[in-house]
Amino acid sequence: MKLLRQDPHTLGGAYALDALDNAERERFERHLQRCERCMRDVRDLHETATRLALAVAQVPPLQLRERVLDAAARTSQNPPVIDQHPAAPARHARARRHAWAPRLVGLAAVAVLAAVVVLGFRQAATQGRLDRVQAQEQAIETVLNAPDARIVVHRTSGGGTATAVFSQVRHKMIFTTAGLPPLPASKVYELWLLAPGSARPAGLLPAPTGGRTAPLLASGLASGDTAGVTVEPTGGTSKPTNPPIVEIKLGPKAAGG
Amino acid sequence: MSGYDGPALVSATPGTMRKDAVRRDTNLPPMGCRMDGMDTRGKRVPEPGADPGGSADTKLDWLLVQVARGDQNAFEQVYDRLAGPVYGLIRKVLRDRAQSEEVAQEVLLEVWRNASRFDSAKGGAITWVMMIAHRRAIDRVRSVSAEVQRDQKSAVAEAALSPDEVAEAVEANLDRERVRRCLNSLTDLQRESITLAYYGGYTYRQVAGLLNVALGTIKTRIRDGLIRMRDCLGVGA
Repeated sequence: MKLLRQDPHTLGGAYALDALDNAERERFERHLQRCERCMRDVRDLHETATRLALAVAQVPPLQLRERVLDAAARTSQNPPVIDQHPAAPARHARARRHAWAPRLVGLAAVAVLAAVVVLGFRQAATQGRLDRVQAQEQAIETVLNAPDARIVVHRTSGGGTATAVFSQVRHKMIFTTAGLPPLPASKVYELWLLAPGSARPAGLLPAPTGGRTAPLLASGLASGDTAGVTVEPTGGTSKPTNPPIVEIKLGPKAAGG
Repeated sequence: MSGYDGPALVSATPGTMRKDAVRRDTNLPPMGCRMDGMDTRGKRVPEPGADPGGSADTKLDWLLVQVARGDQNAFEQVYDRLAGPVYGLIRKVLRDRAQSEEVAQEVLLEVWRNASRFDSAKGGAITWVMMIAHRRAIDRVRSVSAEVQRDQKSAVAEAALSPDEVAEAVEANLDRERVRRCLNSLTDLQRESITLAYYGGYTYRQVAGLLNVALGTIKTRIRDGLIRMRDCLGVGA
């Protein structure tokens, strides 16, 4: 009881350094769920701790690499956890919405993005249709190498996230999702390019593997477009018949703050 | 009449989220702990210009998303970027080479298994991985330390970030030097509390015992010191 009378905020530092005992840590984590300011503070302090960690980096033993990579190849992955803290859903959702902020893609990162996305695409292509996929690979690289390439990650209203990498200069977008609710065989997720008064179909999201969909390429982006996803009958439709579960504005980064 | 005209359920307007982007793109002057360039709240004002660190973070976040899709090539890249920091931190806490290697392997495999649970709302990918590494390391050291009692002097000395260590460490860079400078800008009690807790793996109660200082004092010194480190390193600016 004595602890409840203390100001819990002073524990943030010790928490970020893992210097609380188990009981205190659990209590503090419950407090965190109700305190958005604390969450932000702790996030920054955790990042500070990370800098302490990076300062003592060492060359790992050579054999470790092979052992880890071998073990990974033999180890199955855990599914995503949708929400660990259902006690405070509204607050939690708000905090997440803020944090799933769009990221500006630095030019240096774009080259690596290209390699990674193309690789993901190759994996998805093993069933055939290689020519088409190779053409798409090139198109994806075009997007990622564009001077105005941006990446935006956003949660959908049904859960899970959508990621758009796009370039208005190239009029193209790459779209992937993770953790979207599974659909019955009679339904499909359809991607749209939305503008005031119009909706252009931009393809059907491929069936997910491990909860994630392979990158889908959309062309014909116009300035002011918004990417949207709706649930439609299998085969897709020419006009959306349901409200979008996510909308991502495909604009340039905002000027100023 | 065409298209969807219903309510916008979720709208992602890039401009409204700029804050996070700015934070990640913030660069720091190379010398670390200067006191100029601070705004009225004592936070570092972001300097305009490019930042290699910011895009490196984005890159790693993206790689982890690919790992969550089962992409082993992406995992190799994550390994190459993070095995050094993970192993180094664990080695700093545990000291013993064989144990450190064993725990590092567990941690890196956990990154593979749980990549889908990485939640960027709580920080970047690198912070997520280093949190796992630190927790695994202290779990190990705390289970052992019941048997081996370290005395105050050796504990403080072991936890300190010695200049030797800085010089020896892999790919010596400005970041490491900056951390050392920032640590040195703290009071002795702040610095010892932080290094004992983080590098030594002690709880703040144990730190209070080792340094023979009141519990409440240690708690606030850790917090105040870490906030000073945060501002000195420009985290969250």
